[in-house]
Amino acid sequence: MTSDPREGRMRLTILGGFLGSGKSTWLRHHLHHGLLGDALVVVNEAAIAPVDDALLIGSTRLRVLAGGCACCETRAALVTLLRDICDDRVGGDVSARRIDHIVLETSGLADPGRIVDAIATDPVLQHHIVVGEIIVTVDALHGLAQIRDEDLERRQIETADRLVVTKVDTAEPEPLRRLIATLGILNPGATLSGSVMGSPTDLPDSSGIESETLSTAGGSGTLAPIGAAALDLGNTPDWPALTVWLSALIHARGDDIVRIKGIVQTPRGRILLQSVRKVVQSPEILSDKPVAADNRDGLLVLIGRRFTAGELVRSLSAFGIGGAVAIEAGAASAKARRPSHGDG
Amino acid sequence: MCANCGFPAAQGHWTDAGAGSAFDRIRGRLQRARILAPVLASYGLTVHDDGSGSGFILANRTGHQVMVNTLSELWEAAERIIGRPVDPLDPRFVDEAPTP
Repeated sequence: MTSDPREGRMRLTILGGFLGSGKSTWLRHHLHHGLLGDALVVVNEAAIAPVDDALLIGSTRLRVLAGGCACCETRAALVTLLRDICDDRVGGDVSARRIDHIVLETSGLADPGRIVDAIATDPVLQHHIVVGEIIVTVDALHGLAQIRDEDLERRQIETADRLVVTKVDTAEPEPLRRLIATLGILNPGATLSGSVMGSPTDLPDSSGIESETLSTAGGSGTLAPIGAAALDLGNTPDWPALTVWLSALIHARGDDIVRIKGIVQTPRGRILLQSVRKVVQSPEILSDKPVAADNRDGLLVLIGRRFTAGELVRSLSAFGIGGAVAIEAGAASAKARRPSHGDG
Repeated sequence: MCANCGFPAAQGHWTDAGAGSAFDRIRGRLQRARILAPVLASYGLTVHDDGSGSGFILANRTGHQVMVNTLSELWEAAERIIGRPVDPLDPRFVDEAPTP
C-alpha cells in the first residue's frame, strides 16, 4: 500500500462506515495521536447542518462538505472541493504546508465505491489523487443487524481494504465472533482490527464460528429510503422536556431512526448527544466554546425512515418544546433530502 | 477509552446528563413529570414523581402500579401495560390541530 506508484499524486484515505458506526471517534483518536500525519481532513455529512466537525476540533486542516452525501447528492461538490485542493497544491502559496494526504470521512450513507468512481472518472482528479486505502468502520453491537437489513452496509464492507470493528467493548463475545466470521465471508481480502473509542484493541478468534446467513437477493428491497432531518431547537431548549421526548422517540422508533446527533445547551453546559438505533451513548460534555458558528447549539440531526421534519416539529411541540424549526434548504423535506442510492 | 482525545462522558442515565446541580436534578424531575402527565393520560396512564424517591410511579386506571428508575424504563413499562409503545410520532401528537 505504501509503495509509491503515485508519481506525486496526493494519497486519499476514504473513511466510510454506516451511520453511527464510529467514524468520527476513530478519526478523532487518530488525529489527536498524530497517526494520520499532516493529513487534510474532509468531512462529509448528509445533513445540511454539520455536527461531526465539532468532534474534530483537534484537526488543524479541516474542510466540511455538508448538505448531502458525497457519493450521490453532493458528488459534484466533492469533486469541486477536491479540485480546489489540487489547485491550491499546484499553484498556491509555496510557503503553505504541502498537502500529500487527504482523509475523507464520508457520510454514513455513502457507498465508498461511488466516491472512488467520482475521482477515478474525473479528468482532473485522476491525475492528482490516488485512492490509498478504504477504511470502513463496523459497529460491534449493530453490525450484524445492519448487514442483515441494509444493503448499503454490505456494499460499504465489500469495498473496504481495512475493516475496523468499533465499540468492541459493547458487544457480547458470541455475536461479536459471529460478526467477525460474517465480515470474513463478505470481504475476505480486508484486514480486520478492533477498536474501542478509536484505540486499537484485540478481536476474539472467530475460527470455526458460523457466519450470519446472508440472503443473496440483497434482502432490503422493501425498506423505505433513509432520509435526514435537521432541527433547530433554539439556544436553550428545555433539557428535561427534550429527554422525555427523545427517550420516548428512541424507545418507539429506534429501529427506524437509525441515528441521532445533537449539541444542546443544558444547565450542565454544552452536551453532545448521540444515539444509534436504541442505544444512546453517554453524552459528552463539550467545551463551552462553540467550534465555529454558534448556530450549532440547539441543533438536532435525525437520520432514518418513516418520519418528516414537520412531524418531528409538531411532536416536539406536543411534548412541551415549542419553537423548534426544521432546517431545510428551500422547500426540501426529509423525503426530498433522501439519498438516491438506496433504490437498488 | 482514550482519555486524551475524548470529552468527558456524563455519568448515570443519559437523560440526567444535563443537570448541573442537585437543584437542577429535582427541578428537572418535576418538569419531566409535568410533561409526562398529559402524554401518558392520553393512554389512560398516570405518572407520579414527588421529587424525593428515586424514580417515577406509573399507574393505570385499575390501580396497577409500576416503579421505574429512568425514562427508558418508564417507556418500557408503559409499553408492557398499553401493549404498544408510546410513540411521539403517533397521529395524536403530530396531526395538525383541527381548525374550528
